[in-house]
Amino acid sequence: MTRGEIEEALIGIVRNEKDVPAELLRPETPLAEAGIDSLDSLTILFAIEERFGISIPDDRARAMLTFGDMTTIVEDLLPRS
Amino acid sequence: MNRVAITGVGIVSPFGRGKAAALDALRNARSGVRTISSIDPAPLACRIAGEVPADAHEGTHRGHDRFTRFALLAADEAAEQAGALGVESDRIGVLIGTGLGGAETLDTAYRRLYGEQARIAPASIPMTMYNAAAAAVSSKFAARGLSYAVVSACASSAHAIGLAAQAIRAGQADAMFAGGADAPLTTGIIKAWEALRVLAIDNEHPAAACRPFSADRKGLVLAEGAAVFVLENYDRARARGAEILGEIAGFGATSDAGHITDPSADGAARAINLALRDAHLNPDDVGYINAHGTGTRANDPTETSAIKSVFGERAHDLAVSSTKSMHGHAMGASGAIEIASSLVALRDGFLPPTINLKTPDPACDLDYVANQPRETRARAFLSNSFGFGGMNAVVAVSLLSPD
Repeated sequence: MTRGEIEEALIGIVRNEKDVPAELLRPETPLAEAGIDSLDSLTILFAIEERFGISIPDDRARAMLTFGDMTTIVEDLLPRS
Repeated sequence: MNRVAITGVGIVSPFGRGKAAALDALRNARSGVRTISSIDPAPLACRIAGEVPADAHEGTHRGHDRFTRFALLAADEAAEQAGALGVESDRIGVLIGTGLGGAETLDTAYRRLYGEQARIAPASIPMTMYNAAAAAVSSKFAARGLSYAVVSACASSAHAIGLAAQAIRAGQADAMFAGGADAPLTTGIIKAWEALRVLAIDNEHPAAACRPFSADRKGLVLAEGAAVFVLENYDRARARGAEILGEIAGFGATSDAGHITDPSADGAARAINLALRDAHLNPDDVGYINAHGTGTRANDPTETSAIKSVFGERAHDLAVSSTKSMHGHAMGASGAIEIASSLVALRDGFLPPTINLKTPDPACDLDYVANQPRETRARAFLSNSFGFGGMNAVVAVSLLSPD
């Protein structure tokens, strides 16, 4: 998957959990600023793991502060084809 | 001691969303029991329930368990009716009774765990917990005072309303959101009730399944929903010019200290007596009793004899009905739904009927307002709730509030 494809899938996952305005769905936006609290984050992490068939370690999860971080985590953990 | 005014009522029930839907069904003796559509009926022998219609709640209050969504919808309606409370948020509390809490979330989680995926969603704990509904209502309405969940099986919301009234009486709070919510229509819970052999299984005739006090009754019909009241310090409510819909006049609660599922007439009678005494009501003042009236073999004659032991000969002049005949048994929400139903009906001048009462059981020989509503001028009523575990709660409500 390209980074763009991952981003697109993540937008779907995030929007399924929380109504985030489109203008806030940018790589540099802190999740907290987009109204995503710690419990929302857990739910989103869970959905990401389900969608991509990956397992996100706790330290990576704790360091996920922006939408960009989210994409990078998935990119790093997806098996290389 | 402060008096306790009711200034807001909200209800989500098998009749639909809102007081108007409930009032219309009660007035027209219409059942809300229907074929279950919210879950796959394949594993179920009992495929009927007092299910809240999908259009009454779908798409509301995302991210919460079904029982919490019902509680929030009911609280929304109650808060809107009550209007601006003018009370410091530290002085507003929330008591929501529930029998089974976030049952749908737990059912989904366990189905995944034991079934296909072996993973449980992160929000499962905060969505399942019994105080999730109380927490959500507290958060939504910035109620920062005394708040918790009350659990006593099918008496939960009657206890919650009684305890909330006591908090206002004692000056612990100036206003309370009080009521109950339950959403027990999951595969696991329905199967467990089937195993108890107390369900009225009449899949072909849902509306006729629940027949309290009738000789041909087969048992209870499970239901779901919520009702929430805004209760206020009476003097404060008057001072702000709120419309006072009624008054929580008294509360009586007892335990059978006996069998966990078999009810006792003595435990019920003692709770009724305590509620009357607490309300400073004479038996003659009570015009109506909303019975627990489950439609089981055990409850109906036991409750009848409890009422007779309290009211003596006068019991036969009392109107007693089971609105569960129409909305089913919403577990921990039932007391609140029944108090709300009684209040809206009596304020509209009629007694809600017991439907499906064709042949009275000889052991049930009171006036059950059979099949049709009846005009009334009753200004005070009792609502009985008796939970498994032998826990009994009776709430006395007055419509007129003489100064």
